[in-house]
Amino acid sequence: MDDSLSKLLILIPAFPLAAAIIIAITGPKLLKQWSHVPVIVALVASFICSLGLLNEVRRRSASVDREHSGLVHAGFEHVVNLWTWADIHEAYELPGVSYGNSEISILDQGTRDFRIDITLRADALTAIMLSMVTFISTLVAIFGAGYMHGDRGYWRFFAYIGLFVFSMTMLVSVSNFILLFVFWEAVGVCSYLLIGFWYEKPEAAAAGKKAFLVNRVGDFGFALALFLIWTTYGTLNYHDTRADGETDPVLVAQAMETQLAGDAPGDNDSLVVRGVVGRWRVAANDYATGGVALAICLLLLLGACGKSAQFPLHVWLPDAMEGPTPVSALIHAATMVTAGVYMVTRCTPLFMASPEAQLTVACVGAFTALLAGLIAMTQYDLKRVLAYSTVSQLGYMFLALGTGTVVGISAGMFHLFTHAFFKALLFLGAGSVMHAMGNVIDMRRFGGLRKLMPTTHATFMIGCLALAGFPLLSGFFSKDSIVAAVHDRVHTIEHELDHRDSHEMHGATVDSGHAQHEAAEEGKAGSPLASWDHDQLHRFAVVYQWLYYSAMFTAFLTAFYTFRAFYMTFYGKEVIPHEAGHHAHESPPMMAWPLMVLAVCAALAGFSLDRTIIEGPNSFGTFLLQTPSLADGAAAATFEPFKFHKNVAGTSGAIAIVAILLATYMYLGHQREIEWIRRLMDFEQFGKWFDVESVSRWKEVAWVKQLHTAAQSVRLGWLTAGIGNVILLLALIAATPFMLGHFVSPYKLSLGKFFIDEIYQLLIVLPLRGFAVVCYAIDRWIVDGFVNLVGRIPLLAGGLMRSLQMGLVQFYALAMVLGVLVLLVARAVLAAG
Amino acid sequence: MTALLLAQTVLAISSPMTWGIGVGTAGLALRLAPQVAWQKLGLLLALIGIALIGVALPPLGEALPQVLFWLMATLAVLASGAAVTSRSPVYAAIWFAVSLLGTAGLFLLQGAQFLGIATIVVYAGAIVVTFLFVLMLAQPEGHSPYDRISWAGFAIPMAAIGVALVIGMLVGSLPDFAPVGPPSEVLHEEHVARLGGQLFARHLVSVEVVGTILLVALVGAIAIVIQGNPRRKPLVQESEAGR
Amino acid sequence: MNEAALLQNYLVVGGLLFGIGLLGFMVRRNMIVMFLCAEMMLQGVSVSAIAFGRYHNDWGGQMLVIFIIAVAAAEAGIALALILMLYHKSGTLDMAFWQDMREEGQPAFVDQGVPEERAEDRVWPTLTPAGVEPAVDQEEQQHRSNV
Repeated sequence: MDDSLSKLLILIPAFPLAAAIIIAITGPKLLKQWSHVPVIVALVASFICSLGLLNEVRRRSASVDREHSGLVHAGFEHVVNLWTWADIHEAYELPGVSYGNSEISILDQGTRDFRIDITLRADALTAIMLSMVTFISTLVAIFGAGYMHGDRGYWRFFAYIGLFVFSMTMLVSVSNFILLFVFWEAVGVCSYLLIGFWYEKPEAAAAGKKAFLVNRVGDFGFALALFLIWTTYGTLNYHDTRADGETDPVLVAQAMETQLAGDAPGDNDSLVVRGVVGRWRVAANDYATGGVALAICLLLLLGACGKSAQFPLHVWLPDAMEGPTPVSALIHAATMVTAGVYMVTRCTPLFMASPEAQLTVACVGAFTALLAGLIAMTQYDLKRVLAYSTVSQLGYMFLALGTGTVVGISAGMFHLFTHAFFKALLFLGAGSVMHAMGNVIDMRRFGGLRKLMPTTHATFMIGCLALAGFPLLSGFFSKDSIVAAVHDRVHTIEHELDHRDSHEMHGATVDSGHAQHEAAEEGKAGSPLASWDHDQLHRFAVVYQWLYYSAMFTAFLTAFYTFRAFYMTFYGKEVIPHEAGHHAHESPPMMAWPLMVLAVCAALAGFSLDRTIIEGPNSFGTFLLQTPSLADGAAAATFEPFKFHKNVAGTSGAIAIVAILLATYMYLGHQREIEWIRRLMDFEQFGKWFDVESVSRWKEVAWVKQLHTAAQSVRLGWLTAGIGNVILLLALIAATPFMLGHFVSPYKLSLGKFFIDEIYQLLIVLPLRGFAVVCYAIDRWIVDGFVNLVGRIPLLAGGLMRSLQMGLVQFYALAMVLGVLVLLVARAVLAAG
Repeated sequence: MTALLLAQTVLAISSPMTWGIGVGTAGLALRLAPQVAWQKLGLLLALIGIALIGVALPPLGEALPQVLFWLMATLAVLASGAAVTSRSPVYAAIWFAVSLLGTAGLFLLQGAQFLGIATIVVYAGAIVVTFLFVLMLAQPEGHSPYDRISWAGFAIPMAAIGVALVIGMLVGSLPDFAPVGPPSEVLHEEHVARLGGQLFARHLVSVEVVGTILLVALVGAIAIVIQGNPRRKPLVQESEAGR
Repeated sequence: MNEAALLQNYLVVGGLLFGIGLLGFMVRRNMIVMFLCAEMMLQGVSVSAIAFGRYHNDWGGQMLVIFIIAVAAAEAGIALALILMLYHKSGTLDMAFWQDMREEGQPAFVDQGVPEERAEDRVWPTLTPAGVEPAVDQEEQQHRSNV
């Protein structure tokens, strides 16, 4: 606790929380137009603390004793135990499934306490995420102070921002799945509040609700995954602890050695509870495999899909653009949506145990990237284009994580890191445009703004180039490393296949293959590939190969739609919507300034952190691999030295440049070609060939008429008429697919976002609504009816008794007499008895 | 048990007492009917009923008390029947006073001299007179339609059954009692002195309580009457208004 | 004297008085008569109490009757005051007039038909005239009218 790392870990989330509380209390009455001050101050402080933390983690992980003790020999983590939230003794009896290293699996048997410690952790992954989050949020808060100026909910905005940054920093720094879930939900709530920030707008309220509900689907999967993790591993902590909650690695290591030596622990408290991604477990690669692993991973993936807007749960993110633009930049582009990526990265060892799950992650990522790229091609809403590009880039990150190699995961995190800069930059740039255009965001209604807004234009261009993967900008390096990782994956699998084939050819009966030999030689824990059979390797190789092509194609789409939006906004004839009035001007310095900072970062972040192109070090990757999850076990076994793939990078760079040039050619000038392509893609060219009405008009055409008259004159009129009828019939038959094609032409599909919203509406919302109506009817008529009936019984009984109340004294006397009679008769009967 | 109950029921039904109560009740009911002929028939039936009840009563063993008892009891019961059935409330009050005389006679016959006199003085002399006084105040015309209507339908059989049951039980359970001996105490020569001694020694608290009740009733009656009458305006103002 | 027979006779008479009073209370509508019937029920109880007292050779019966008389007097005072007040409010002694206190929605009791009033019912009890009616001095009458 008195350690500098611990202090920093606590301070980083504490500043934004304090700012949020201060604003919530004093904002409406006291601070008013100065509400941004506490948040900006707190975020700057948090950022400085994050840098300190980053530096400290770097320093310590560089000097970490690689032969610390026994099994654990790599990675650095620092865990701060604040207090115990819940502690239920002997909550669960672990069945002790035999998986992996059976000698060590014995450690997972026995009764486990259900214990939730409020613990924070510092490791490379957390340090990177913290610095990124606090940096982006600082800039966004400064931008927001200019952007939101004069808004009625000014203080509310900054209170939410403070709360969000608190939740997000906690999310990346907690060391427990339960707390991860708690702050996972907390950022969801902040996102909901900020999407629906202008709650008077029905679209904003609906978008907030949609985001919240769609995320519930993912959270449902996440929660199930947590249950499964708990019943499988008996703990939800990331890190290793003793059963009494002691986290000191030295003490844990001592207890571990005692236990491994076979000595019974002195008391129950000194039992070692190995964390889910704790160093001892990772080092021993002691993870459940098979169905359980697949289930855990797929459920975690569902949770990640919800938060990171991957197909099929991506529908909320584009709608989330109803929120204020700084929010889009901060939450829905740079930070919160990367929580899924962070979570999958954190759980790398779990995914390593299930190659099928990794493949699913990669497929989901690649498919989402492609789908979102296709949709972004035709959108006219600038923020929506950016939103779909976010979805697409997140898909890239999932693709990278799905390769299942350390290089791939490092590439995914690197893309997350660089993407945060240029996507925040693009969104803030879009915000700047919106600010100038009087909140108009439809690209058809403005254009040629480069003279009007030079700063925004320049910074936006840098962001676009980075996003498109223009060589030597940050996006180029990160995207290239993803594509290269996929390529590497294919290569590794094929290599393994070749090796096995050659072994078989040489008559070797070893089917465990090359990888195991190599692993054994190098003293690693064994490459995951070793356990795969031939068919599996083959299938995976094919799938990854296709994913590679898909990624390349998506890179082309990305560059194209980015520059389409860029040209539509800043080039062409100068158009200013009337909403802008006479205020169309460059944004104030408070907004321009963060744009410039971000532009510099977007341009330089790639090269400065990954200098493999000049045979330099990949400092980002090297640092990230100090994370315990990645430093050991199966993940580390896939490690290959970071290197620059010249041919892959050259291909993707060339694709990006070609796409940019194509967009330049099409969107600068008269745009005839793009219109022609649009019509082609909308099947309009083929329309008249299948339209029954136009076919029936053929007989009016001069030469057809002449032919028909000529045929009639030689008594062959029936022939021409028959041919005409047959053609008409064919047109009629073709009409149905044509009509369908008219509605699902590629252009319409893209413009209509592949109708996924509508399909959900039809398949999920409507049945659920019908079910709700049925439930309502049951509740209203059956349950309520029963309750009301019960309520009416006393009323009816009372009604019967009411008729006795005649108001005549004589009647009351008679009633008394009757009562006395009853008593007398009873007395007589008793006396007789 | 059921058999015993049945036997008792048969015994009760065959007894002239039961018949007497039944006939007398029918007589009373007829007395309340509007038709004059039925009223006369009712009187006849009531007399028959009293006679039947008298037949059922055991003899007292001595001639004079027997005659006096017959006289007083018949007077009391007949007068009370008349009080209940007479149309005019004034006559009802007077018949009640007559019934009280019979009751007082019965008291005296039992040796309760003080109570006999007290009943005449307090009841017949004070309470009944108060009744009449209130009648004068409230109903000076002396007759009203609601006095000519009675609700005999359901109430009379119920009351008759009740009375039959009460009397049947009281009389039926008599053999269980054993007389303590000759009533030397209540028939003592210094009857009133002993009564007073008992009253102010053993029942002193009760006497105090009753005294308090009487006082409270007095105050209460005054309070009720005052509350109902709005306070008159001062005379001065009234005369000024007259000018 | 046969004490048991005496007790039995008195109990029957007390029971009859009580029953007649009860019956009267239930069938009559004049408040004063109803109250009178209640007093009659008290008389029935008093007769029984006296008889039991003698039978058991105990003063308790007579004591009870003394208190009954006292309470009846108090009751009479209160009840008659109340009756007077009710009469002031309603102008009638009819108990059915106060059936407004019945439960809401209950049908009101309505008289089905009032029997014809007979001449003798209308008559107040009178005393037989006694003595000689003094002669009326005409002059004095005239003189008085001038006062």
